Amino acid sequence: MLSRLASLGIGVVFATGLFSGCGEKTSAEPSDEVFIFARGSDAQKLDPADVEDGESVNTLAQICEGLVRFKSGTSEIEPCLAEAYTISEDGLRYRFKLRPGVEFHDGTPLNADTALFSFLRQMNEEHPGHLEEASFSYWRYLYQDIEKVEKVSDMEIEFRLREPNASLIYSLAVFPAYLISPKALDTYGDAFQRNPVGTGPYRFVEWRPDEAILMERNDLYWGEKPTMKRLVMTVVPDNTVRLLQLKKGAIHGMDGLQPAEIPALENDETVTVYQDVGLNVGYLVYNLDVERLARKEVREAIALAIDRDSLAKVGLSGGGRAANYPLPVGFLGYPENEDAIPYDPERARELVARNADAFEEPIRLNVMIDPRPYFPDPVSVASFIQGELEKVGIEVDVVSSDFKAHLDDLRNGEIELGLIGWIGDNGDTDNFLSVFFASWAAEKGTATNYSFYRNDEMDGLLRAGRRETDMAKRGEIYERALELWRRDLPILPLVHGDNIVALNSGYEGFELQRIADLRLGWIRPR
Amino acid sequence: MLGFIGRKVAYLGFVYLLASVAIFAAMKLIPEDPLVARYGKHVPLEKIEAERERLGLDRSLGGQFWEFHIRFWSGDWENSLRTGRPAAEDLRKYLPATIELSGLAMLFGGGAGIAVAMYSRVRGNEFSKKAAMSLGGMGLIVPIFWIGIVMLVIFGVWLEWFPMGGRFGMLEAPPKAVTGLYLVDCLLSGSWGKLAEALYYLLLPSCCLAVYPMAGVTAMLYARLKEPEVDALYVSLRSKGYGSLRIVFGHLLRVASAPVVTVLGTTFGGLLGGAFLTETVFSWPGIGRYMVSSIIERDLFVAQYLLLMLILLIFCVAFFSDVVAKALDPRGKEGGDER
Repeated sequence: MLSRLASLGIGVVFATGLFSGCGEKTSAEPSDEVFIFARGSDAQKLDPADVEDGESVNTLAQICEGLVRFKSGTSEIEPCLAEAYTISEDGLRYRFKLRPGVEFHDGTPLNADTALFSFLRQMNEEHPGHLEEASFSYWRYLYQDIEKVEKVSDMEIEFRLREPNASLIYSLAVFPAYLISPKALDTYGDAFQRNPVGTGPYRFVEWRPDEAILMERNDLYWGEKPTMKRLVMTVVPDNTVRLLQLKKGAIHGMDGLQPAEIPALENDETVTVYQDVGLNVGYLVYNLDVERLARKEVREAIALAIDRDSLAKVGLSGGGRAANYPLPVGFLGYPENEDAIPYDPERARELVARNADAFEEPIRLNVMIDPRPYFPDPVSVASFIQGELEKVGIEVDVVSSDFKAHLDDLRNGEIELGLIGWIGDNGDTDNFLSVFFASWAAEKGTATNYSFYRNDEMDGLLRAGRRETDMAKRGEIYERALELWRRDLPILPLVHGDNIVALNSGYEGFELQRIADLRLGWIRPR
Repeated sequence: MLGFIGRKVAYLGFVYLLASVAIFAAMKLIPEDPLVARYGKHVPLEKIEAERERLGLDRSLGGQFWEFHIRFWSGDWENSLRTGRPAAEDLRKYLPATIELSGLAMLFGGGAGIAVAMYSRVRGNEFSKKAAMSLGGMGLIVPIFWIGIVMLVIFGVWLEWFPMGGRFGMLEAPPKAVTGLYLVDCLLSGSWGKLAEALYYLLLPSCCLAVYPMAGVTAMLYARLKEPEVDALYVSLRSKGYGSLRIVFGHLLRVASAPVVTVLGTTFGGLLGGAFLTETVFSWPGIGRYMVSSIIERDLFVAQYLLLMLILLIFCVAFFSDVVAKALDPRGKEGGDER
C-alpha cells in the first residue's frame, strides 16, 4: 500500500517537471530579443542626482546621458548631448551648444530650458525638483565651483564658475550631470526618483525591486542605434549562482565575478571575460594623530615590509595589480619612474630596531569584512599584511567590522592602521589627491582624509591644480604633490582592483570603460 | 482554554514591550549614524542636521520611542532612507513572497517529515530507521545554502526542470496583486498559466527551505512514536490485525498531530532565518534579504519596524500553533489522565 503512495509522490515530482515546459525559455542562442545583465544587488534609486551605489549608476548609464561623455574606453572627453563646447580663456565660463533634434523618452525636446532643469534642481534649493529628502551629495562636491547656469540662446547654455576648476569638464561627463526630462517630475510626482526619463539608448519600463529593472530600446535614439529590443538588469545575489546562470545562458552578462574563477573561464567558449585596471586604489591608512604613527620612520618601516606584488596575487587572486602611487596609472601627473616604495624587508627591520619603543605594544589594524572592488577579500589582505609585518618584528592585532562601522571608525579617527580604498568619480587626479591629502577633507566625522594629514604646501598644490587649465602645467603640479606624498607618506597605496565584466561569448559590441561605468547600449549578437 | 489564551496574550504583550525596547536600543547603539550613512561622504553636517530635524530624530529618546510605537501601529512606517520607498509598501511586497515560500516549505517539510517518521515506524526495518535519523540530522548539520546550490545544479543546470532562481518570468507580467501571494492571486483571477509559472519558480526554493522543518518534524515524531504509550497503542492496533494505512491514518496521525503543529510553529522563526539563505541562493525577492540588507545599510526605519513586525509574527505563529496543538491534543479533550 505504502509503496503505491510513494509512487504517487514520485508521479507528482515528475508532473512538476512538466512545468518546465512553460515560462520563458532561456536559450543559449544569442538573439536580439533581450539582453539580461545580472549583478549582486539592486539599484537603490534611479535619480542621477541622488545616487551613489554602482548598481543605480550602472542602470542609469543605459537610460540617461550627459552634455559630454568619455570617448569609449578612454579618459578623453567627447561631445554627447552637447555637440560642441568652449571654455573661456580665464577658465570661468563653459558654454555648451546642444545637439538639435534630440528628444527625451517622454517626447520632451532637448533645448536650453529642458537641459537646465537637471542642473537647477540640484543647485537651487527653491526649485520644485530639489526634493527635500534627496542628498544631491555630488553636486556639493564635484560641482561646488559652479556659481550659475544659464540659458544663452534656445540651444545654448553656459556654466559660470566662482573660480577656475579644471576638473569640471570631467565631472560633467559623469552620472550626477546626466540630463533627465523636466516633465517626469509632473508625471510621476513622489515616484519621480524611481522613474528615470532620459535620452539614452534604452528607456525605462518597469522596476521590480530586488528582482529586475526592465528597459526597452529607444527607437528614436539620436546616435548609433542600439540593437537589443529589451535590456534587463536583474539581481542574482549569490556569486556562484550568477556564474552558473551565465554559463547556462539564463543571463547574458554579469559583474561581481570572483577573480579566482577567471583562470577556469579561460577555456570556456561560452563566456568572455573583460578585465582592465579599475578606477580605484586600496590603501593602508596611518592615523597621524596616533603618537607612534606620527613618526615618519615607523610609517616607513611598515611600508617597506609589505610586498605589494605578492599581495596583489594573494589578496586579489589575480583580480588586480600592485599600486605604486595613490592613483591608477595613466592619470595626469602620474610619474614616469615606476616604483615609489620598493619592497625592502632588511631596511624595514633596521627601522623597527631603531624605533623599538614604538613597537612594544601590538599595532591595531582595522579592516572591514565586506568585499570592495579593490579588496575582494579584505580580511585576507589584513592577514597577509599581519604576516609581512610580523616577519620584520612588528606585532599586529587585526580588528574586523562591517563596512559601515569601519567607515565610521575611519572618519572619526578611531583607528591606528586601517585598510580602505577609494573609487574615483570623474577620472581626474584631483578626485584622488584632494580626497586623501587635503586638510579640508580632514574633519572628524565626515573625513575622507583618514590619516588626518595636514600640510599647507600640499593644500597649496591641490588648490593650484584646480586652478590650472593648461594640462601640461597641471600635470607638473600633481607630480610635485606626489613627491610630497612620498616624503610624508600619510597613506600607503597597496593595490588597484580590476574592472571585470563577463559576457556570454555570443554577444559583441561591449567595451570596458576607463571611468568604470557600464555601457550596454551597443551590445549585439555576434 | 480561555485562561490559556489569556495567559498567552499577556505573554505576547510582554514580548512586544521587551522586543521594542531591545530593537530601539540596538538601533541607537549601532555605531555610525544612519543619516551620515545615507547622505554619504560629501554632504555637509548642516544638511544632515536639518534632515535629522525633519525626520524627528533630534528629539528626546523617550519621544522617539513613543513615536516608534505610534507609527508602528498606525502603519505609517516612513520612507526607506536608502530607496525613498515607503517602508510599509515594501513590506507588502516582500513579506508575501517569503510567506509563500515558507508556507509551502512548512507544508512540504511537515508532510515529508510525517511520511518518513510514519514509514519508519510501521516498517520498522534498519533502513527506514537510518533514513529517519539521517534526515533528522541532515537539516541540522548541512547548511541550507549548500543544499540550495546542489538542488540548483541538479534540477536547474543538469535536468533543466526548474529555473535557476527568481520569482516569476522577468519578461512576463506577474498576476494582479491582491494578496501579494502569487499562488493565491492566480487562483483568484483564474489564470492557470500564471499559476503554473508561479509554481515553476516556487517549487525548488520551497523544497530547499523544506529541509529545515522536515528535519525537525522527522526527529520529533520519530521520538514521539517510540514513546512507550504510543508504542503500546501501535502494538495493540497491530494485534487487532489492522493494516499499516489504517493504523497511520486512523490513529497515529491523531496522536502525532499536536506535537507536529508545535514543532512547525516553533521552527517558523528559524525558517525566516533559513529564508534569508534560500532567498539569496534562489534570487528570491523576499523579506529575509530585504531585512538583512536594511540592517547592513543602516536603513533605520525599515530595520526597526520590520524587526519588530517579524518578532511579533514569529511569536504569533508560535502562539497560534500552541492553541491549535492544544485543541488537537486528544489527551486534553478527553480530560486524560496526565493533567
